[in-house]
Amino acid sequence: MKDICLYGSCCISIQPTFREDYFFDEISEYAENGIKVIDPDYKEFIPALQLRRMGKSMRMAVYASQKAIQNAGNPTIDAVITGTGEGCLRDSEKFVEALWENDGGMLNPTPFIQSTHNMAAATVALALGCKGYNMTYTNNSNSFESAVLDAMLYLNENPGKTILIGGLEEISEQTQKFWDSIGFMNKENPQIPTDLNLNSQGEIVSEGTGFFVASNEQKENCLGKISAVKTAFEVESPQEFILDFLQDNEISPDELDGIILGNNGDSRYDDIYQNLSEFLFQSIPQIVYKNISGEFDSVTSLAVDIVLKIFEHQQIPPILNFNKLEKESYQTILIYNQRRGQNHSLILLRK
Amino acid sequence: MNNQPIAITGMGIISAIGMNVRENEFSLLNNRHGIKKYSVKNNLIHQEKLVGEILRSDEEFYSELNLNPEKAFTRSTLLGLKAAKEAVQSANLDLNDGLSTGFISATTVGGMDATEKYYFDFLDSDNHKKFIPTQNCGVHAEQIAKKLGIRDYVTTISTACSSAANAIMLGARMIKAGLLDRAIVGGTDSLSAFTINGFSSLMIYSDEHCTPFDDNRKGLNLGEAAAYIVLESEKSAKGKNVLGFLSGYGNANDAFHQTASSDDGEGAYLAIKTALEIAKLKTEEIDYVNAHGTATPNNDLSEGKSLLRVFENVPDFSSTKAFTGHTLAAAGAVEAVFSLLALKNQMVFANLNFQTPMSEFDLIPQTEMKQKKIKTILSNSLGFGGNCSSLIFQIN
Repeated sequence: MKDICLYGSCCISIQPTFREDYFFDEISEYAENGIKVIDPDYKEFIPALQLRRMGKSMRMAVYASQKAIQNAGNPTIDAVITGTGEGCLRDSEKFVEALWENDGGMLNPTPFIQSTHNMAAATVALALGCKGYNMTYTNNSNSFESAVLDAMLYLNENPGKTILIGGLEEISEQTQKFWDSIGFMNKENPQIPTDLNLNSQGEIVSEGTGFFVASNEQKENCLGKISAVKTAFEVESPQEFILDFLQDNEISPDELDGIILGNNGDSRYDDIYQNLSEFLFQSIPQIVYKNISGEFDSVTSLAVDIVLKIFEHQQIPPILNFNKLEKESYQTILIYNQRRGQNHSLILLRK
Repeated sequence: MNNQPIAITGMGIISAIGMNVRENEFSLLNNRHGIKKYSVKNNLIHQEKLVGEILRSDEEFYSELNLNPEKAFTRSTLLGLKAAKEAVQSANLDLNDGLSTGFISATTVGGMDATEKYYFDFLDSDNHKKFIPTQNCGVHAEQIAKKLGIRDYVTTISTACSSAANAIMLGARMIKAGLLDRAIVGGTDSLSAFTINGFSSLMIYSDEHCTPFDDNRKGLNLGEAAAYIVLESEKSAKGKNVLGFLSGYGNANDAFHQTASSDDGEGAYLAIKTALEIAKLKTEEIDYVNAHGTATPNNDLSEGKSLLRVFENVPDFSSTKAFTGHTLAAAGAVEAVFSLLALKNQMVFANLNFQTPMSEFDLIPQTEMKQKKIKTILSNSLGFGGNCSSLIFQIN
């Protein structure tokens, strides 16, 4: 399949990433777990009356998609493809709570409607009047990657079209408590920025979204290209998984200008990245980002945006540079991710 | 990309009208529907509901499927595993022959049946904590793929009631692009208080047997089901028994309203048009339309309008929802299996419970089973968020 070009992007996260000129110069600090995003002014794109009814995922998706389109020079969008691990979680919780509280009376249908996983992609399409292809993947931490794969397929089938690709996740208090009760979350010392060498247990859970305008026509304002994507639910050896992928794409680890690793400070699983740092990628810049973004299923959408920013600035922000190596030029960067030892993914980007 | 036809070499299904393909076929050919009062006592459901229920408990599935009782499998996974196994067996797949295989599944309920039950218990006791991670929709696909031994590609689609049709479409596209040699594609959804009360809150859950395309229709009955079909490339299907070909597919968005479909059926119209273009077919070549036909006032009007816009003469059409109930994310796969059975038996299945033509147009579904020459079937799936998908099944 041919590479696809990215033209505009917008991320909302626990850092002020939605600001166009943001390059990790100012870092918001947190000492909590279950961290909510820094909200942009949603009213910029969403009328107040609609905004009040919209769940978090929907409002984040509409804002980020509109901003990404603006940043891309306002092209017409032909299709919307999203990935979300948990979907509109808060509305799902609200409706379950209403089921329990209700004594047979009438339930408010709004949370039920908005609990549907494709509601963010649908709302984006509705806001744009986009009648084209509309898809939503919901496969744990390989949801955004599934959307990227579909986007590559779609643009190869439909050359000349322009589409939106998005990853999004919202957090919700009750589900956080559930996750906490089974040891998923860092109880001891949740800190953003996270010291990734602290050897603590559990994730620092957050939320966010990243939207991108993509097309397979290469124009001057292309921010970077997605060259390949691969996912696997389980792998015997992450190293072999990565080497096979690099071989398929005819590139060696040393030829990469950087590797984005998903270290999140959970020592139970960061070993996976540690091995790669020591044996496969010891000679190239190792870039991390979950130390300032936290962890969520579609967090790799933020990683893609970071790569685009590194391409633009031709430098790695110090807070993201894990092994302090640098290159003169950044042309090819690989993103590797997994969550709790499962759902391994690779996204290869070229400038 | 190439234009090779995508062969369908296997199918599996479990629904309210049968535990396997043979039983579903028997029920369809004998007009035996599966809509009854819900037998499960669920405190969260306050009214007696008519549902398309699979009368087998989770415990029975655990034992039948040889699953470890200590492990968490929610009902959607159990139904899905049962149907996917049948599909793999019927296609005689050797998953260790070096060809690449994907598992693409659809669900909307996911693990909600467990989450809703244990929501206020999860934090108080350790008894059901194992179900906490199964809430995520992707878990069912991972669990089923693992049991089947499929490693090359696994993903989950959730686009409301068109989900399984979209899973089938993705499988075909990945095979055409050379990313997979074959794919097991479909969907699964169990019944839950969440969905039953959800559709009731929208006032589109009928307290009677649903009546698709009838002027006096009062809404849907929900059902539970899982169904999968096996798609193979020309190379991979060589020498195999082919049940039919998937020759066309299309997805479009109504971009009209959160839940309601547009009055003119724009999304469905665009999806059908795309499917016809990809299959390189003229409208008059469609012999039978397996309609989405949920029996909600809005769906049947919108879908009917779309058929009138696409077809100069609307072909024989019927909705099989009155047999199975609306099985949500599984519906597109259930009806893919029914389409393959219609091709096999050369039979248009009956649109049960129809009495009065709708006032808006003079479309009359096929109310009795009808034997006829069928080469090409169009199957529609339309969902919340305006998500519309159409598939075209053919035999040579």
